[in-house]
Amino acid sequence: MLATVSSATLLGVEGYPVAVEVHVTNGFPGFRVVGLPDASCREARDRVRAAIVSSGFSWPQRRVTVNLAPSGMRKGGPGLDLAIALGVLAADGQVQADCLGGTAFLGELGLDGTVRKIPGVLPLVDAAGEPAVVVPLACAREASLVRRSGVFGATSLRSLVEILWGRAHWPEVVLAPPHAEGGPTLDLADVLGQPLARRAIEVSAAGAHHLLLVGPAGAGKTMLASRLPGLLPDLSPAEGLEVAKIHSAAGLELPGDGLCLRPPFRCPHHGASAVALIGGGGVRLRPGEVSCAHNGVLFLDELAEFPGSVLDNLRQPLEEGRVVVCRASAAVAFPARFLLVAAMNACRCGADGAPGSCRCRESDRERYRARVSGPLLDRFDLRVRVRQPEVGALLAPRPEAGRTGAEEPTSKVAARVAEARRRARERGVRANSDLAPWRLDELAPIGAPARRLLERRLREGLLSARGLHRVRRVALTVADLAGDEGPLSEEHVLLALALRGQGVLADDDSGFGPCLGGSAPGSGGFSPGLGGARSGLGAFQVDPSPPAEARACAAGAP
Amino acid sequence: MSTGLGQTRRSTSPLPPGAFAAALAALPGAGPAWLVGVLAPGGHPQSPERAWGELLAGRLAPPRPRRATTGAGSGPQGLRVSPLAPAGQTPPDAPSGWPGLSPDAPARTWRRCQAAEAQVSWFGASGYPAALAGGPSPPGVLFFVGELALLERPCVALVGTRRCTPEGREVAYRLAYDLAAAGVAVVSGLAAGIDGAAHAGALAAAQAGAAGSTVGVAASGVDVPYPAKHAALWRQVCRQGVVISESPPGQPAQSWRFPSRNRLIAGLSRIVVVVESHIQGGSWHTVEAALQRGVEVAGVPGPVLSPASAGTNLLLREGALLVRNADDVLEAMGLGASPAVQPSLLPPRPSSPCAGGSASPRAGGLGDEGTAVPARGTHEPPGPLGPLERTVYQALGRRPQTVDDLVERCGLPLGAVLIALEHLGEQGAATHHAGWWARAYRR
Repeated sequence: MLATVSSATLLGVEGYPVAVEVHVTNGFPGFRVVGLPDASCREARDRVRAAIVSSGFSWPQRRVTVNLAPSGMRKGGPGLDLAIALGVLAADGQVQADCLGGTAFLGELGLDGTVRKIPGVLPLVDAAGEPAVVVPLACAREASLVRRSGVFGATSLRSLVEILWGRAHWPEVVLAPPHAEGGPTLDLADVLGQPLARRAIEVSAAGAHHLLLVGPAGAGKTMLASRLPGLLPDLSPAEGLEVAKIHSAAGLELPGDGLCLRPPFRCPHHGASAVALIGGGGVRLRPGEVSCAHNGVLFLDELAEFPGSVLDNLRQPLEEGRVVVCRASAAVAFPARFLLVAAMNACRCGADGAPGSCRCRESDRERYRARVSGPLLDRFDLRVRVRQPEVGALLAPRPEAGRTGAEEPTSKVAARVAEARRRARERGVRANSDLAPWRLDELAPIGAPARRLLERRLREGLLSARGLHRVRRVALTVADLAGDEGPLSEEHVLLALALRGQGVLADDDSGFGPCLGGSAPGSGGFSPGLGGARSGLGAFQVDPSPPAEARACAAGAP
Repeated sequence: MSTGLGQTRRSTSPLPPGAFAAALAALPGAGPAWLVGVLAPGGHPQSPERAWGELLAGRLAPPRPRRATTGAGSGPQGLRVSPLAPAGQTPPDAPSGWPGLSPDAPARTWRRCQAAEAQVSWFGASGYPAALAGGPSPPGVLFFVGELALLERPCVALVGTRRCTPEGREVAYRLAYDLAAAGVAVVSGLAAGIDGAAHAGALAAAQAGAAGSTVGVAASGVDVPYPAKHAALWRQVCRQGVVISESPPGQPAQSWRFPSRNRLIAGLSRIVVVVESHIQGGSWHTVEAALQRGVEVAGVPGPVLSPASAGTNLLLREGALLVRNADDVLEAMGLGASPAVQPSLLPPRPSSPCAGGSASPRAGGLGDEGTAVPARGTHEPPGPLGPLERTVYQALGRRPQTVDDLVERCGLPLGAVLIALEHLGEQGAATHHAGWWARAYRR
């Protein structure tokens, strides 16, 4: 006797329909599963046999062959247990084969016949090509996110068969609310001081600019970063579903058992392996942290402690918004468009980076800086230093919300961010960081004072051509946040430059050596005057000209 | 007795004495004590050629590798290899790639010296620095590139931490500039931080026509710039001053070489000025060596909260000479700080040492105009400032601060502070480095 039952299996974040064919025939009693099952799938034999017997059915004392079609694709996980068990019962004639038609069955079986939760119900249900889907009752709510009708819950093999026989009714499935609340949002008002870092968080949220926070331990880097998701606008339902599917495939709890429209926030520990970060592993290729942070924030605390080989894997997702995991068995593309926020110390000793404060040896500092590769560092449009708050500020009584001196709450900043994102959408992009360089001239014209400023920086070698594009995008976001129209002003550009944090991680001993060889001047040393000498405002600085003139300059003759 | 200085002339016929001195220095385990003992047995100089011949003939004991001490009493005062390094830390082991004790060693060594453009001087030779010859543990053989006669000038060592503050670097630069302008040779170690700034300052003065120059004392061979980023500075010092080293050309900068390098810095100088030093650091080796030799030690005071000044402040508390500027140093050397030697040259800003070359050359090192020293330490900004700039300037201090500090201190919006800082920077009233802002030095 032959029976075919529909089910589905998971590869990456996508489900694929699987037909479970069971053949029971005369011969030496045995139970074989063919069609590339992985270890946990092959173990289904023992679970299914025990579940059938404990549910009060009889195990056919005949030869049982299970084929999982398409047989060329590897199947992983225990989600096919229920379909195999029903197939065996149908092939043995204990269940009418026609009551299984038009329905897909998903679920893991316990030895006592209970139907257990499985990961990835969302993509699996989405992929099942039948009008009705039976899932573990515990997953039914989640499954209802993609199918509002035709989703049924099963609690045990016995009760399921009773229902199929027509002797019982389906247990009621509670549909998931279309919108679920995310966790409690953290308020930006809790952060004291840090004006530059606060602004960086705001600009990062508004323009989707990747952000690097540099500062000593305990300065509030994590605190700042965890407040970033609260500033981001809600996801669209389509984006939310995308995120929910990824999280379901990764086996993560969906918040509130519903569709959460808050952007996800993922903060993997620095011990994470490349596979954990990028995805892969096992037969079904689990999505990594970069995909779990899709449409949200990926926060890498202690960036320099991540192995360099792991970090360099981030380049493709940062560039393309997706990551392709290739294995011998399959190649899977995971969506991975996230906002990268990273935090690290300025050096190993954890000093705050003030000149002369570090206790590290020069070679140690070099080594520490070299742990984050240049190309990755270059992806950060915003690099700001976070400082330890003053002792007085920590112990001072908090001003009441709304009073002068109180820090701005998330709600106010989020409104500005939403407005900036709206402006970006009018330009046809999701956020300003997606703007193509050739559109900048049209969208982000530069005012005359700002042009002079940028020219100066370019000439001093403090800014590269690519850096210029990045600064312009950030400056455009700054202008959007301020609600300014028209060309970029000096203030916008200066803020963008300050947020870019030239040399936040740089060596503070690059003063003299390189210059003597006649190479490019101003290579980042402690440069008095920022090129004032070249602008002619402080001629006495360069040219040891007659003292009278020097005095005149010093006295203030412009 | 030979001419003293080996010539870099390429010749097949008889090798200069310097070749034999170099071959002796390149022997495995050849420390200064052994070399001095060989080159001047019993205090009577003999030619390196003869010493080499006796060594080959077996009449002289070759140096024993990996031994900290050699024949006490053979040289003056029973020398040790390095008086400063702990015994276990001084393995002047076989220099890699050197021929050792073989008849063709002098020729091969000499070819390497010529390739490095290095000249050789040795204990007892006529050009050998007198300051070293009289002191404890003189180096047996010195390799140098540049003008060794510079050491006959009054020499001042400017040393300090590699991890210095911008302020310390500026002080070193200015001190060196003013000292070189007064005709002094500035001795330092070619290292990162204070050392580099000192060399750069002295070179800038020399380029502007000052009589003084600079002496770089290296731990590695004279052709191995260390740190590598100072290669350009190194070449410049070779051209305009002199780079000397006890290590044969090609030797890497190993940590055990630095304390003995520091003893040379102290030995060459009449006064050692520590510009910035942490509570521990290589500067202390130089200070110890200076005290051993009776060389005066001076320190530049720094903020009591700055870890980079903790060492110098401690020195001052223990009685070192307090030095604020070049005048103080010159006065301590007895060169007098009369108005005539006031450091009147306005050194170029350290940000533009390249531009220093184009600075109008000033006649004479011993300043010919002593009238134009602007008041130091005034709190007035250099130009007319708007109200915003003035507020921010007043909040700026000598200690570098971040923009966050300034925003909090001024109570101004972030954008306004940034604009004010940019304008202050343009006018030369504020300086910044890696996001740290401070008041610029006034000249």
